[in-house]
Amino acid sequence: MKRTLSVLFFALIILSFIVAGCAPQPTPAPAPEQPAQTEAPQVTEAPQATETPAAPEAPQATEAPAEEPAAPSGEPIKIGFFSPTTGFAAADGTSALQSAQLAVKIINERGGVLGRPLELVFYDDAAKPDQASAIARKLIEQDKVVAAISGSYSGATRAAAPIFQEAGIPMLAAYAIHPEITKTGDMIFRIGTLATTQGRVGAELVGNVMNLKKVAILTIDNDFGISLTEGFKQHAQEIGLEIVLEEKYPLGETEFRPIIGKIKASGAEVVYATGYYNEAANLVSQARDEGLEIPIIGQEGYDSPKFIELAGEAAEGVIITTDLNRDSERPMTRLFLEQYESTYGEKADMVGASAFDAVMVIAYAINTAGSTDPQAIAKAILELKNFEDVASGPFWYYTPEREVVRPISSQIVRGGAFHLYHEFTDEALVKP
Amino acid sequence: MLLLQNLSNALILACTYILMAAGLTMVYGVLKVLHIAHASVYTVGAFVGVLVFSWLGNFWLALAIAMLVSGIFGVLIYRSTYFYLLNAPRTVPLIASVGMFVMFTDLLQKPFLMGAYQRAFPAGGAGLSAIKTALFSFTAKQVLILLVTLILLVLVYIILTRTKLGLSWQAASMDREMASAVGINLNRSIAANFFLGSALAGAAGVLVGVYNNSVFATMGDLPSYKAFIIIVLGGMGSLPGAILASLILAIVENFLVASVGYVLPRDSIAFLVLILMLMFRPNGLLGRE
Repeated sequence: MKRTLSVLFFALIILSFIVAGCAPQPTPAPAPEQPAQTEAPQVTEAPQATETPAAPEAPQATEAPAEEPAAPSGEPIKIGFFSPTTGFAAADGTSALQSAQLAVKIINERGGVLGRPLELVFYDDAAKPDQASAIARKLIEQDKVVAAISGSYSGATRAAAPIFQEAGIPMLAAYAIHPEITKTGDMIFRIGTLATTQGRVGAELVGNVMNLKKVAILTIDNDFGISLTEGFKQHAQEIGLEIVLEEKYPLGETEFRPIIGKIKASGAEVVYATGYYNEAANLVSQARDEGLEIPIIGQEGYDSPKFIELAGEAAEGVIITTDLNRDSERPMTRLFLEQYESTYGEKADMVGASAFDAVMVIAYAINTAGSTDPQAIAKAILELKNFEDVASGPFWYYTPEREVVRPISSQIVRGGAFHLYHEFTDEALVKP
Repeated sequence: MLLLQNLSNALILACTYILMAAGLTMVYGVLKVLHIAHASVYTVGAFVGVLVFSWLGNFWLALAIAMLVSGIFGVLIYRSTYFYLLNAPRTVPLIASVGMFVMFTDLLQKPFLMGAYQRAFPAGGAGLSAIKTALFSFTAKQVLILLVTLILLVLVYIILTRTKLGLSWQAASMDREMASAVGINLNRSIAANFFLGSALAGAAGVLVGVYNNSVFATMGDLPSYKAFIIIVLGGMGSLPGAILASLILAIVENFLVASVGYVLPRDSIAFLVLILMLMFRPNGLLGRE
């Protein structure tokens, strides 16, 4: 029996490492050996070349095409990019990478940056902080990038930020929302909306747009959910919402039925539920199964075509706050949505839009600064005004804390797609 | 009313645990190997199920093919790995098993297999209808899970107790060498055991995929340890024990969340129960000394 027990504990320890994703090196050295150098200007064959980001073997070095307006030439300008294309966060990481590659392609088709082609140097960080910090060093020392983008989660982004800050290389966090990231220093910027701001907009949506009063709050137990709920509750108090129930649930939860019973008994008129699309799809389907018919309000974590695919009918009527307005007529939003779908055969999401925009902002900053000097790039980003060349824009301006200020939209699911429900343009409300 | 509804939801949750744990405990009973890669079989089952369903649109056919493929996959795992490690110290097949689990998960995540994204498995209730009473209700999906689980359990029970094959497993679980000495073809017997246990895991994968309407490469992470805890709770190698432990765990999880909320992640309750169990009843609920 003793033997069985010791074997058992051994197994449990190994397993807990794997499942918690903190094993030092569970898979034989992932991507960081060979960067996928996605030089985009491949007019005819681009979709093919960018379709398999998870296998970053061969650097696809292509000569700049001779046609198109003033084809970029000369030494490419390198931008670092890391996102999780393996591991639990692979869906978001892949979306981010593909969108960034699309942005690079569009920029190079338009003549590049300072007449030179833009090049994305990509590494897979598996959303792990230890890998992200190693990648940051590699991007700075070996690849000599002029700027970098994190297409990864908050944990990994926080690990990389101080390294870029110390090296004086600007880094843009695409959709990682932890407040500490931008507090690292003056070289660290954010594209996504700070979670507390988005929570505030969520409360505004419930109280002043939908005119509902009694709220049940469901919080996913991580940085993302807790900051959202914080912002929501603060504004809820200001506008007099009544919080009748508040519950936290763990990441990856699939069984919401017991909690749905409690919501039904609480007399809530609306549910504000933070989470990602897989939790949200289960929550929404099970709520409708159990006969809970009140509106469910989400946020950018739901913002994926996968949410609608997984939740099916139950997704109808769900309202979320997000940065990406699907019904926007702005040319860059349309271009992004259409090209993403035609290139990758999937609908784009907010994570992708943020990574796309990060590339656009860096390209703009280099062009405006007229140089690839990192300090000049950072300065140009801070001075950006009413920037339209982004999918989730327009970006009105950056605050001195390096957070972006722009309208935030809410989207409703109708007929199996996200559509505009309400756009929040009050600067006091949407400013971080 | 809420109580009964919680109980019926817990019953369905238990069903999804039972099929997974039943296969694992069967394999353990005969081979005495902690087969962590069983969770890969579960994922492969769900994946095959969703593929066949999207081609043919028939849930029952998808379930049958998924079980068949997972069964074969399980036998391949046995023949390629454990077969050579039967006389090695018990940590050796365990490490091999963990290695295979990690390898298969990473492999399945490659774009040419399942890719990074979750896939919907919109089989609904496969034509079954929901049950609604004044006190509790089952959705069509829940009826489907209950039905398939019951059918498979009855089938397993018959095979275990009424067939030569089942008896040979029982003999092998008592003493492998002795069983072999009295003329049981151990190789064939173990392979058949793996086939059935893996087919059950495949069925569990398909049912959970339909229940949550999502199939993805890392869906085996959670069952990899939960099924494992369940068979320890129930008594290693004991099928009735695994069923009992699944029911208890599902009910505890459901009622704890419904009454006090998520004081701790739902999935960690299993570990708490495991620790208590090892302290006070290390042979499990229905385990032998």
